[in-house]
Amino acid sequence: MTTTEVPTAAPPKRVAVPGRPARRRREGAAWVFLSPWVLGACVLTLLPMAVSLYLSFTDYDLFNPPSWVGLRNYTQMFTEDPRYWRSVVATLTYVVIAVPLQLALALAVALALKSMRRGRAFYRSAFYAPSLLGASMSIALVWRAIFNDGGTVDNLFGTGGWVNKPGWALFAVALLTVWQFGAPMVIFLAGLLQIPGELYEAAAVDGASRWRQFAHITIPMLSPVLFFNLVLQTIQAFQVFTPAFAVSAGKGGPADSTLFYTLYLYDRGFVASHMGYASAMAWVLLIVIGAVTAVLFRTSRSWVFYASEGDR
Amino acid sequence: MPGNRTRRSCVTAVVLALCAVLSGCSGGTESGGSGGKVVLRYTWWGNPDRAARTEEAIGLFEKKYPGIEVQSSFSGYDTYKQKLATQAAGGDAPDVMQLDYRMIDQYASGGVLYDLGRQKSVLRTDQIDAGLLATGALDGRQYAVPQGRGTETVVYDAEQWKATGVPLPSGAWTWSEWADAMRALAEKTGAPAATDPGQSEDAFEVWLRGQGKDLYTKDGELGFSADDLTRWWTFTDRLRRDGVVSPAEQTTQLDGTVENTPLGRGKAIVDINWDAPASGFVSLVGEGVTLAPMPSGEDGTPGQYFKPSMFMGIAANTGHPEEAARLIDFMLNDPGAARVLGATRSMPVNETLREEIAPDLKDFDKVINDYHATVEGKLNDPPQAPPSGDSALQTTFQRDYDQVSYERMSPREAAENYITEAKAELRS
Repeated sequence: MTTTEVPTAAPPKRVAVPGRPARRRREGAAWVFLSPWVLGACVLTLLPMAVSLYLSFTDYDLFNPPSWVGLRNYTQMFTEDPRYWRSVVATLTYVVIAVPLQLALALAVALALKSMRRGRAFYRSAFYAPSLLGASMSIALVWRAIFNDGGTVDNLFGTGGWVNKPGWALFAVALLTVWQFGAPMVIFLAGLLQIPGELYEAAAVDGASRWRQFAHITIPMLSPVLFFNLVLQTIQAFQVFTPAFAVSAGKGGPADSTLFYTLYLYDRGFVASHMGYASAMAWVLLIVIGAVTAVLFRTSRSWVFYASEGDR
Repeated sequence: MPGNRTRRSCVTAVVLALCAVLSGCSGGTESGGSGGKVVLRYTWWGNPDRAARTEEAIGLFEKKYPGIEVQSSFSGYDTYKQKLATQAAGGDAPDVMQLDYRMIDQYASGGVLYDLGRQKSVLRTDQIDAGLLATGALDGRQYAVPQGRGTETVVYDAEQWKATGVPLPSGAWTWSEWADAMRALAEKTGAPAATDPGQSEDAFEVWLRGQGKDLYTKDGELGFSADDLTRWWTFTDRLRRDGVVSPAEQTTQLDGTVENTPLGRGKAIVDINWDAPASGFVSLVGEGVTLAPMPSGEDGTPGQYFKPSMFMGIAANTGHPEEAARLIDFMLNDPGAARVLGATRSMPVNETLREEIAPDLKDFDKVINDYHATVEGKLNDPPQAPPSGDSALQTTFQRDYDQVSYERMSPREAAENYITEAKAELRS
């Protein structure tokens, strides 16, 4: 957290002076200003990553010194651990359900806000509020209470306790994520407001319906923003932890249906004291997220339209 | 200007509030003195009844030792287990902690626990049965002291049971007699009669011992096969399918608290639990709460045993080992504390005190004491301390049974899964 607090002091006045004061000195100044972040990144991110990479090849119970086991953690993960695969399936299901739903809702709300003439700032804040609350444990606990048997939803609709039904528990968790659509919504809104009004006017003159305007102007013009949100939310969805932890009372249940990857990783590392195994899991997750992101970037060439390309 | 001033005072207020939050966070981790007092953190698991009595005993302790302040906290067993593991891993174990038999090996060999022998002068153990005391020792060092002996029990609400007209349990019974009784109850009430025992490693152990086997061998390897576990889960799965024991949706909510058992939630008449925590049912169900012995093997071999339970230990990195030892000594050996605590952690281990308070026991404390008397001398010796992977396996057991009760796996598949996982767990 501290790494993001880049000092906001005014830039050194010297830089503005033209002439010889060479690049080198300016670079030096840049490094000085970067130093809090660089230091933070090294000590709080790179070093722990290196340690966890080492630990992933060891048997480490947190108390006794780690002992080298080579690739055993990795082979055990892929060949001897049925629960690992259940956690992979649960996570993928969640990503496939939650990300599109969340983005669709964020886009829908952003479109509605765009056409508002008055009170846009108020509604923008109001719709953003759940995202601020949602990161907290308390909301997730309330969520569990709402969807438990005898909870609000059960009493109103007689649905039974969703959090105790394997098919529905994951959906309840996904719903909590979808509800926190504030961040992508704000970004969508900013993107929508940047689309030149002339495009719509011209299309309207040509008799294009609203749907055609949406499909042929809004979506292409918004595609870089859409892509940005998609990548960001996908990466986040792979790492979801708090809602699943709280909604399933820390167990990833029922029947492992909400045992997300990170939840199982936590379980292995801190509950069962297999930190080496947990580290190996973390590295596999990193590689998978990297691969998925790379695939998204590759496909983006065919559907993301950058307005500046048209100028070339 | 006035606007400016309000803004500044607002900022000040926010900063102060943040400081308060920060100091609130760090306050818990420092066991240094506040106002010259030594502050001890003491954590345990249990039900609200145990919490109230423990707080009262702590009050007596603080009165006797005005220089020591005890900050206590408690939770249900599952949550406690998780939290303690995380704290211990981070080098932040509480000064004084309640430990289960399953945790001793793991934490003692991991260097989390303080060698209590170093505080011999403060912490007196001469009134405790030597065999019982030894259950808290590892490689000749005393790492923890048991606060009691617990044994499992079939706990039921006698009032609801009587209302069905099914004859009440009378003394010893076998697993099939238990199942027949549950079936009769379920037929009369039209609802599941008991908690599904399939999820409980403890219940499985009792069943297994009834057949002359053990959870673990002497070398700390698995003492049973996939066939044994398949038979147990087939037995409980059939009861669940027939609506005799709780459905999966209820079973999955079990978390070691009495509040979340079907009996505690008013959805069943019978539960299988440990004797001391069963006291928590009284406030939920009423005075009809009664204890019956655990079912035995078909040839009458008893499976349940007296398990040394609810140990107290000290964190190896505590700043105040002497004060911590004083607290443990007080909880074990002070007559006033013993009277307040009663049988909330089972009967006191201090033999003099046990005889002293026995005649004055009332309410559920008396129920527990009487229950102990009915099974005393009829049980087989307890197994040796479980290996260190067992604590994690207990959770695995529960999760694998979820797969059976939600009908995602057959008992055979789930049992084979469990054996695979257990072997990996015990190997490391």
